[in-house]
Formats: sequence, C-alpha cells, structure tokens
Amino acid sequence: MGKIFFIFSLLMFYLSNAQSQMETIKKGSFIPLYGAVEAVKINTFEMDVYPVTNADYLEFVKKYPKWQKSVVIKLFADKNYLNEWVSDTIYNVSFKPNSPVTNISWYAAKAYCECQNKRLPTIDEWEYVAMANESQIDARKVKSYNDYILSWYEKPKTNVNEIGSTYKNYWGIYDLHGLVWEWTADFNSIMLGGESRGDGGQDSNLFCGSASIGASDLMNYAAFMRYAMRNSLKANNTSKNLGFRCVK
Amino acid sequence: MSNFLKLVLLIISFFFINCKNGKSEKENFAQNNTRDIVISGTMDAELTSPPFVPAPVGNRTAKKLIVNLEIIEKEGVLSSGVSYMYWTFGGTVPGSFIRARIGDEIHFTLSNHPDNKLPHNIDLHAVNGPGGGAESSFVAPGYEKLFSFKALNPGLFVYHCATAPVGMHIANGMYGLILIEPEGGLPKVDKEYYIMQGEFYTPGEIGDRGLQPFDMKRAIKEDPNYVVFNGSTDALLGDKAITAKSGETVRLFVGNGGPNLTSSFHVIGEIFDNVNIEGGSTMNHNVQTTSIPSGGAAIVEFKVDVPGNLVIVDHAIFRAFNKGALGILKVGGEEDKRIYSGVRQEGIYHPEGGTIQEIPISKSEIIETVVKKTLAEKIEHGKIIYNSTCLACHQGEGQGIKGVFPPLAKSDYLNANVSRAIDIVLHGKSGEIKVNGEKYNNIMPKQTLTDNEVMDVLNYVYNSWGNNKTEITSEMVAKVKASM
Amino acid sequence: MIKSKFFIIIISFLLLSACHNKKEQATTLASYECPMHCEGDQTYEEPGSCPVCKMDLVLVTDDKPILETSNEISETSIFNLTSDWKTQNNKSIKLKELQGKTLVMVMIYTSCQAACPRLVADMRNIEKQIPVDRLDNIAFVFVSIDPETDTPQKLKAFAKENRMDDNSHIFLQGSLADVREFSNVLSVKYKQISPLDFSHSNIISVFDKNGELVKQQEGLGVDNKAIVSEIIQTSK
Repeated sequence: MGKIFFIFSLLMFYLSNAQSQMETIKKGSFIPLYGAVEAVKINTFEMDVYPVTNADYLEFVKKYPKWQKSVVIKLFADKNYLNEWVSDTIYNVSFKPNSPVTNISWYAAKAYCECQNKRLPTIDEWEYVAMANESQIDARKVKSYNDYILSWYEKPKTNVNEIGSTYKNYWGIYDLHGLVWEWTADFNSIMLGGESRGDGGQDSNLFCGSASIGASDLMNYAAFMRYAMRNSLKANNTSKNLGFRCVK
Repeated sequence: MSNFLKLVLLIISFFFINCKNGKSEKENFAQNNTRDIVISGTMDAELTSPPFVPAPVGNRTAKKLIVNLEIIEKEGVLSSGVSYMYWTFGGTVPGSFIRARIGDEIHFTLSNHPDNKLPHNIDLHAVNGPGGGAESSFVAPGYEKLFSFKALNPGLFVYHCATAPVGMHIANGMYGLILIEPEGGLPKVDKEYYIMQGEFYTPGEIGDRGLQPFDMKRAIKEDPNYVVFNGSTDALLGDKAITAKSGETVRLFVGNGGPNLTSSFHVIGEIFDNVNIEGGSTMNHNVQTTSIPSGGAAIVEFKVDVPGNLVIVDHAIFRAFNKGALGILKVGGEEDKRIYSGVRQEGIYHPEGGTIQEIPISKSEIIETVVKKTLAEKIEHGKIIYNSTCLACHQGEGQGIKGVFPPLAKSDYLNANVSRAIDIVLHGKSGEIKVNGEKYNNIMPKQTLTDNEVMDVLNYVYNSWGNNKTEITSEMVAKVKASM
Repeated sequence: MIKSKFFIIIISFLLLSACHNKKEQATTLASYECPMHCEGDQTYEEPGSCPVCKMDLVLVTDDKPILETSNEISETSIFNLTSDWKTQNNKSIKLKELQGKTLVMVMIYTSCQAACPRLVADMRNIEKQIPVDRLDNIAFVFVSIDPETDTPQKLKAFAKENRMDDNSHIFLQGSLADVREFSNVLSVKYKQISPLDFSHSNIISVFDKNGELVKQQEGLGVDNKAIVSEIIQTSK
C-alpha cells in the first residue's frame, strides 16, 4: 500500500513538475527555411522540455477562470476552444493527464506562458531547437530526421499520445516533432498567402522588403508544411493537433 | 482568363470576322454572354464518389448552387496489401464529382476535418479569378471557408489542392473534376462514369506491403511506381468494374490529376465516337487514343457494340500492365458474360507474357455469397478462375511452357509446400525456382483475386493433373495473408 | 464580403443568445403588473386582476434594447485588449478610451519606403470622401509595427510631415508583444526583415464605436468605395 502511494506521489510529482522542467538552449545561428537569407542569431534561452499537458492546463484554468471554456471571450478563442472538454474544469475522460493540451488559441497559449512568467517561443527559436535530432544540432539534411517528421503526417490521432513519447533531442527537448503542432509567438509573420504558387514573385508594391521573403530550401518540404500550417491560422483559432510550450 | 489572352483572342476573332462570319466571335467569348445569365432559385449540389456522376443538369435554369466539400486525410488501399495515407476531397480519390451548368453561381464551402494535420485549399480550373479560389479557400484543420464564383465557361475542369508543397498535395490524391454543362445540358446518353488518372510515388517497389509513405525525390524525378485510375490499382477491377449493356451509349468523364504524367487514354476494343478534346468545346470523332495532360480532362463517348470486357488503359502501356493504370468496362448481355470474360485479353496480350502483368478478370459472375461450398463446388469455381487467370501461362492441362512458365501438373514444387503456393498466388513470384528438375527464372504477377477465389483456384489445381489433392481452406489463405 | 457576413452572423448570434437569456429570465422570474399602474410599480407573481381597478394584469416586459448601454462591449470587441499604448503626443492610453468613435485602423512603420507611404495615401483618400460633419465621429489610427524605432517623437514628426497632427489622427506605439497581439486582432501579418525593414500585409480595418470589426480592405490603391460607404454608415 505504502509502495503504491509512493509511486503515485512520484507520478504526481512528475506530472506537476512537467510544466516547470526546462532546458537551456545555447546561443547560435542558423538559416531558417523561411523568412531570412542570412543566418539568424539566436540568444541563449530556456525551453520547456515537454509541451503543456492537459493536467497543466487544467490547473491553469482553475487558477485563471477567465480562460475557462464557457468564460473565455470570442475575441481570444473561437468556439472550438477546448471543444472536447466536458466542462470548464473537466477534460474528456478519454484524455490522458499528460497528453499535450490541444484546441488552444494563440491568445490562450500566450496568457498561459505569461502566467508562468514565461513566453511563447518565436518561430526562429522554435525552429532552431527543432532542427536537432538526438545527436546533432542541425539534422535538417539527415534522412532519418526528415523521414521521422514526414511519417508523422501519416499517423492519425497522435495528439492523444503522452508527452515524452517521441525522441529526446540534442538539447534534451522532447516532442517537437511527432506529437502535435505548436504555437509560436510570431506565427503570423509568415506571408506566404493562401495561394502558395504565386509567392515567388511578390512585387514590392504589395510588401515591403519582399525580396527576402521566400523559402531557402524548397526541398525541405517536411519543414515547409509546418510553415504552411502556421500560415493558415488565425490567433483565435484552435486545432486538435495544435498545442504549445513556453520558453523564457 | 488573362487580359493578354483576351486581347489575343480579340485580334484572332477580328480576323475571323473579316473572312468568315460573326459566329466565331460568339464562340471565342463564351464568357461575355454567360456572365449576364440570371440565376433563379437555390439548390444543393449532388456530389458523387467515383466512378459515379451526379444526375445531368438537363433543362434547368441557372441557380445558386450550394457545394459543400470536406477534406479528409485518411488511410486507404492503394493496391492489394499496400496502403497509403490519402489526402482527399470528400473522402475519395479522385474527389467528389461536381456537376453544374453555365451561369450557375456556385457557393463553395471547403471544410477541413478537425482530425486532419494540414491546411489545404482548392483551385478549381472552372473559376475565372485569382488562384481559381485557392487564396479564398485556404483553410486550417477544423475550419471551413466559403467563396463563390459564377460558371462562365462550359467544359470539364480539374480541381486540386494548391497548398505548399503543391505537388505533394496533388500526389497524395487531392484532385477531382467539376463539369460545367452548356445551356440545355449535354446530349443524353445511357451510362456516365467518372475516371481520373493519377500517379503515386512511394520509396520502395510496386507491391511493397504495408503503409507506404510519399517519396518526394521520386516525385521530382517523375518516376512513379504506381499509375492508377481512381486512386487504386483495383478501383475499376473485379466487382468494381464499371458496366454497360451492348447497344448502350457510354460517356466517360476522364481527368488527369497528374501530378506529372500525361495520359494516353485508351479503351481496348472501342473507338471513341466523340471526344471533347481537353474537356473544351472542340469535338473530335473516331478517336483511338486521346491525350489528357496533367491538370486536364476529356469527355469521351462511344457506343458499346458487343458484350465483353473492355479494358481501360493509359496506352503508355507499361503504366497499364506494370504500374496499375488498368480498368474494366464490363459490357453485358447477361448470358453472354462468361463467354466474353477474359478470353479476349488472353488473345491480345499473351505475346507479352513474362512481364509483370496483372491480367484483370471480371469477378462478379462468381457468386461469393455461398458461404459453405463443397469441395466439388470449390473446384468447379476454381476452374473458371483458372481458365480466365492462369491458363494463358500455365496452359489448359497445367503443363506450362517448358523453360518459361513452370508446370502445375504433377508439380513437385507445388505439392511440396501449400503455404508457398498460396503466397505465390497472393503476392506473385520472381527469381529462380526448380520445378520437376527444370529451372525457371521468370516473374509471375500477384493476382487480383479475393481470398475465396484463391482458395477455389488452388483447390482446382491441387485436385487436377495428378497433384496431391490437398484441400485448401479459407483459413489457410487468411493465415498466409496475415503472416506477410 | 465574406468576412463582414461572418461578423454579422456572429453579432446576430450574440444578440440572439442574449435575447434568449432574457426570455429565460422572464419565464423563471415571471411577474405581472397592472396596465394602469394603480399601485405604482407593484408587481404580482400570479396572473389575475388588479385589486384596485380590476383590469387584467399583464406580463412585465423589459423593452430595453440590449446594446443601448454604450459602455457595454461584446466579446468580439477590440476594446477587450487591455494593452497600454503611447500616442504621438506621448500620452498613455488604452484602446477602450477610443470607444464612441468609428475607428479606421492601419499598421505601418515610419521608416518604410515601399508600401507604407501608399497606405497612408490610401487612408488620406478615404478620409477625403467622408463628409466633414462626420469627421468628428471618426478617428484614424496608425499603429506602428516597429515600436522600437517609432517613439512618440518619431510618430509626432511623421504626423506633422503628413499633415495629420490633429485630434482625429492617432499614432500609437506599443510594446513588441502588444503590437503582435494587436496585429492578430487585425489579421495583419508582418515580419522584421532587417533592423529597419519589415514586410507586412496591407489591411485597413474599420471598427464601430463599440470596437466591433465592420469592414476590412486589403491591398494598395484598391477601389475604396465599399469601405468609405461602410465608414459613413457606421459613423452616423
């Protein structure tokens, strides 16, 4: 009995601590797929090891009722927000506590991070960490790395998997690929437009600095789809396959 | 249509007017007359899954036409034992067929299922406007977008997803056809069907089992391992063959989703009486093979004259027999069915034997509803299957052709291992084997047979020509299938 | 067009659901009054007749329109944003202080060479077509995409340069995070390309006096008839 209690409390400790586990990402530079021709500098920051879970988020809405499903205002989250939750403070029975929380709007994700004294990562920060595989900082040319991402597109319902179920990358971060999409602070900085084929020739009439807009490596279509996904979203949108994590 | 194109047409038509009459101007500017067509009333569009098409528009007036199309990413069967994660418009490849008439104001809602991983959009070639609707329909999973357009040009048009990477979205099955009928509708025919060709690119070989991913490198090299009609090697074979009766007129709405290859569309044993070239307004007659570009379409019409199986192919013929671009139009005459089944193909294609050919047979005459068959019944059915599927190579008495096709009569190889025999019928066989002391090194294609048919045909073989009379059960077949 | 329809649907949905709540209240807390008000505001829980004049009692109805109280904002109003901004006059404000005016909003940055001058020109063209007596009800708001460069002083200079330094033209500087949030409310996309250069979408948005989005115009130098008539309509 005592043993079970011990394991249980260990589990609870693990669960309640999942949100606070962070790893340091050392500064560096890289050329992202999209949005820059020259290398982008990334300053040292800390990133959550796991995406925010159902249990984490439940705690949050209990503490900040304005983000509860029935209370949240429409400007900040559309009707799909937490749409599989049974009530304001009970998530669906089929959900696991340590599965990533999804159907979260950008405003909600932002508020969550701010309430932990953290923030959402920028696209460049997120991509910088996510280009690592188990052993390399930049694995974007490694076949197995790309195959892993691509195979995720073919796996249905990965959002019900638990955090930590994918690989631990070079930085000690889990689940950047293979679980859910994740919000970024500046997701709306992608200007591909819904019509992807015309993006090569934007005239400078329409966009300032249009020359630098474009994808650096069109062959990297695994990453390209991530940008397309971000590009399709509005800040009050939510999606079953879209969660988030924080940085500071 | 771009302004430049309009200008060119204007100049061309000017010349035509000078030397002919005013009619050509009218033809060249179909749009000018059609944009003013007044709509009356609202109706919901009927959408159909391939190979079927919605009811003709007939004489109805132009209306506000409501189209609701749902995008679903789902796993499906690309070929027997091979599955693929399709991205679909309406749950099928090709996507739902949309039928409208000229002047219709089409209110198009594109919804992206919440379970989907990716954003999508739609470019309808029937739209006069930027991106064919792609910009206005770009939609994230769990959302929907509404846009509207007026059908100005009659014809058969392709639609497809245009989200980056565009080629991948199309290669995964995101294409379909929309038909804009002229005033008064198309002439009446007896049967109409919807066929669309497309390629699939997977990393391994054709027939590699299990869920196969998309292979970008191969797609860029334009080197598909599958070229198929209606999203699967089996979509128009067996009991899914399309049908007609002799004497009937048949109209096929044929599209080519690509993403890369041009189709040499051909129906073996028929001549197209009419072809709307490229889906437009020019009609050609007495055509053997019509070229359908990627992102293009054609309407072909013919009268089926005699009963039998007409084989639908891409006449770039390795695609048909080696990559799956094969379908059957089964022409009835009820009691004549069996006579015409398969035999015609044997006569035509036997000289090519030895390549990886999948010889389609029509299966619907073999009644699968009989659950418990006696051995004698199984053997009887097996003989029919043997005659249509195996006989061409293994010959009437199972004697085979020495050095080329191994014998099944008194075969030591066959009698030694039943599971192996089942496996070969299910999945084909290549490489060197030794049968009755003779070496054979050839390729046998996997057969498009149901489990029951495999059981029956092997019962026939094992109980004929001095073989060891092993009785094959459906459990044995299922077991071999499961173990692969 | 689609967008404005969408908003009409949302607004009417809100109205409907609000009405619906009211009705429920009426049935659960039903009360009756004398049509002659013989006993003043006296109400009765059961239907019947007035003890004084014997007339049949009638159901108490509440005719007040829902959105009459102008301080109430709906869930989709931009006044739900609580971020702090600085004007070109270095005055701190919250968006809610703009309530009561029709807002014509655009996001620009002052060092922009390509699109922004044209966006400002588009704003000016729109303004020209608005009847003078309406201008008091309208504020033209320019929000800087580049708050690190565009200080109130810079914005002031920009306003003067463009002859827009008056009460009906407001230039706003916010924090990086608040500008990002604001851009999301406007569905504006932008990205910093180099220290002084941004790419951004060109959208002019019109909000009514309660902060509801009523119209958006995308593109440069496009036909502005629709947006002008919408502004005139909203600023009545």
